[in-house]
Amino acid sequence: MDLIFLLQDVINGILMGSIYGLVALGLTLVFGVLKVINFAHGSFLMVGMYVAYWVVAFTGLHPYLALVLVTPIMYIFGYLMQQWLIRPIFVAERDVREPITVIIVTTGVWYVLDNLALLLFGPDYRALSPNPLKGEMIELGEILISTPKLFGFTITVLTAAGLYWFLLKTRMGRAIRATSLDRDAASLMGISQWKVFNVAFGIGTAIAGIAAVVLVPVYNVYPTVGVPFDVKSFVIVVLGGLGSIPGALLGGVIIGLIESIGPNFMTSTWTEAIVYGLFLLVLFFKPSGLFGQKYDW
Amino acid sequence: MTPQSFKKTGLALLVLTALALPLILRSPTYLHILIMLYLYAYMTTTWNLVGGFAGVLPLGHSVFVGIGAYTSTVLWLQWGISPWIGMLVGGCLAGFVGYLIGKPTLKMRGAYFALATMAFVEGVRVIVENVDKLGPFKLNGPRGLNIPPLPAGESSFLAFQFSTKEPYYYIILFMLMGVAYLTWRLSRSKLGYSLSAGGEEPEAAEALGVNVAKCKVTAMVLSAFLTALAGTFLAQMTLFIYPKSVLTLDLSFELAFIALIGGRGSLAGPIIGALMLRPVTEFSRIYLSATLPGMHLILLGVILIVVMLYQPRGLSEPLTRLMSRLQDRICSTKTGGAQ
Amino acid sequence: MSLLELRNISMDFGGLRAIDSLSLSIDEGQILGLIGPNGAGKSTAFNCVAGVYKPTSGEIWFDGADITGAQPWDLCRAGLARTFQIVKPFASKTVLYNVMVGAFARTDRTDEAEAIALDVLKSLHLDRKKDFKSGALTIADRKRLEIARAMATKPKLLLLDEVMAGLRPTEVDEMIDVFRTVRDSGVTIFVIEHIMRAIMALSDELVVIQFGRKISEGKPEAVAKDENVIKAYLGDEYVAS
Repeated sequence: MDLIFLLQDVINGILMGSIYGLVALGLTLVFGVLKVINFAHGSFLMVGMYVAYWVVAFTGLHPYLALVLVTPIMYIFGYLMQQWLIRPIFVAERDVREPITVIIVTTGVWYVLDNLALLLFGPDYRALSPNPLKGEMIELGEILISTPKLFGFTITVLTAAGLYWFLLKTRMGRAIRATSLDRDAASLMGISQWKVFNVAFGIGTAIAGIAAVVLVPVYNVYPTVGVPFDVKSFVIVVLGGLGSIPGALLGGVIIGLIESIGPNFMTSTWTEAIVYGLFLLVLFFKPSGLFGQKYDW
Repeated sequence: MTPQSFKKTGLALLVLTALALPLILRSPTYLHILIMLYLYAYMTTTWNLVGGFAGVLPLGHSVFVGIGAYTSTVLWLQWGISPWIGMLVGGCLAGFVGYLIGKPTLKMRGAYFALATMAFVEGVRVIVENVDKLGPFKLNGPRGLNIPPLPAGESSFLAFQFSTKEPYYYIILFMLMGVAYLTWRLSRSKLGYSLSAGGEEPEAAEALGVNVAKCKVTAMVLSAFLTALAGTFLAQMTLFIYPKSVLTLDLSFELAFIALIGGRGSLAGPIIGALMLRPVTEFSRIYLSATLPGMHLILLGVILIVVMLYQPRGLSEPLTRLMSRLQDRICSTKTGGAQ
Repeated sequence: MSLLELRNISMDFGGLRAIDSLSLSIDEGQILGLIGPNGAGKSTAFNCVAGVYKPTSGEIWFDGADITGAQPWDLCRAGLARTFQIVKPFASKTVLYNVMVGAFARTDRTDEAEAIALDVLKSLHLDRKKDFKSGALTIADRKRLEIARAMATKPKLLLLDEVMAGLRPTEVDEMIDVFRTVRDSGVTIFVIEHIMRAIMALSDELVVIQFGRKISEGKPEAVAKDENVIKAYLGDEYVAS
């Protein structure tokens, strides 16, 4: 088998994987702070993609410029979700370490959002238009690299770095880290736990919005587009370690590599099965993932 | 009338009505609706053995339905083995799989367990959808398996096919009553006490001699076995199974949602949930799906969210409280009550 | 023959040595008190015996068998029961239910378990409250329930972890009576306690530990006069009532 093509697959895998990592980044942030897994994360991504699609369709902006609009919209969306749907459960189940009801409610939200999108937008696949990035490739010798994916990789790295800086250097960032380490101690220090939760959820959703913008030039938009990403995000987040930023990115890259190199050896469905199998293996043997439960912010 | 005899008469009336219904409602459509209702009530009750009693959140339970359905169907199509026997074989296989899944996952935290069950059912579905044969067993991938119907008007008990709806009705009714009774006995048994104690305070339960993990696995195996029986029934009712009908997250979610809304951990909760929600989802699907597709699922999701926000333990609690108030009223007036 | 024997156990948590070469033994029918300043390692020692932690080194022998690292439920079957410092009732369930869970350790039948539970509740004067939701009980009653639950498992040895904490003086007196009832029924008791008057009055012998190490042992009067013990407690405010 041609080494050049293998190299191309590896590069593609890393690029796509980093984008997966970006998708999972919001999820892992929310988990690290709130200690709950937002099962509706894929649906949030789907919402972001539709928002990006419509913003571009109405304004004709370059998709990456659309980020300016999409990100705040998604932030507000996430903030409100947390405020209205998740906070009441936390309040009601104050003494439970892991409120399972949140999982149930977010699963319900997933269901409602996906079917609502089906209802409102119909099942059709929509491709971004106008799409200035459609089919753009960079040629490195014999290797073809998809430009939007390359941009996606760059945006991912920038976002992750930005998040890192935010958590380390800003006041709110420190408040978030404190709350994720010890909720009660942080609130005793005068940090409003609810504000932190809302902000964290908002940021996590905003990051999903960024991921949506990155994906929309290369992925069709349809109501259940979130589902495969949802499942992949769970796998990545567990693989990388819940609450770890580098873990999310590394986990994403691993999945990306499996998906791009795998088809050389087997059908793509077996690749999917391998991803599930890997997931189960990690859950069984090292549930804390690659970067463990230490929240290395 | 004492509270006990009130409950007993109420129950007896319910059972008698259920038994007599086919004689009153002769329309096959209505019978079909009732049959599916009972089937869902059955599946949510068996789900409850793990989701309610063991206190964890299985979101991939349809995998057992699928195992039951495929096992009995394959055995019948390829070797002519009666689906009744196939049912038992499917149940045992599902129980075994339940053990394999349960042993490692039931030790995990709640969210991880839910994810693991989801990953498992999706993994199985992906595999079944993409293989035509698994060893000597023909699974037929996404095209599914068709059970050839008997010539019109013929019924065969051995082949588990009947020309009218009535036999199916009674079979599922008895299955439902069976698991309801089983759940009732379980809640009063050592296993039941151990499970709910282990679900509430695992450390304390362990110090009191309860091997919490082992109990949870036992509940899982039992639940898997019983759920698989429903799979066979479904296969024989519809005579056509394919991966997206019995191995989906959608079905797993639906079962979980209904049980949660009805009230997990309680005896009547899942049944009440099914009785309340199935008509809603069925009617909205029938009447609305032309104009508003997917509306019935949205309804289910919204109901779930609202109920979870206000009554996280499910609706059976407030409903039973209403019932006991009603019961008090009736009992005290009958005995001319001391107010 | 000693019922419980700790042979040179040490317990490390990462770099922290919580227990250092601790040895002690309890004879059948005794009440042995474990005392020491806060953070001395008393609860850790209990948790090692109760199977929550496996000691880094050393052995624990119970009733002639090596139980080091055994699982809590197996220990319960073998006759070793414990209570928790922060009580853990099955809050959504009744008092009777709570005790029945313990009783099921000795029988498989629900009616037998109920009978055993009612018996235990009566001996601890909780039978009037058997249908109360345990989450609604006062702290004193919850502690009583915790003991009742453990007693229903018909233990040979009962580990009591700071049962008196948070009780008012009258409740402390009532609890002392409970201890006596337990001892009189033939159960050996291993108790951690801070309330000095209680533990001095009840214990046949005391073991004092500080920084995970035993610094004194013997009859209560002797231990109270031991210089090491007085030094260890200097500077702590204790309810020496």
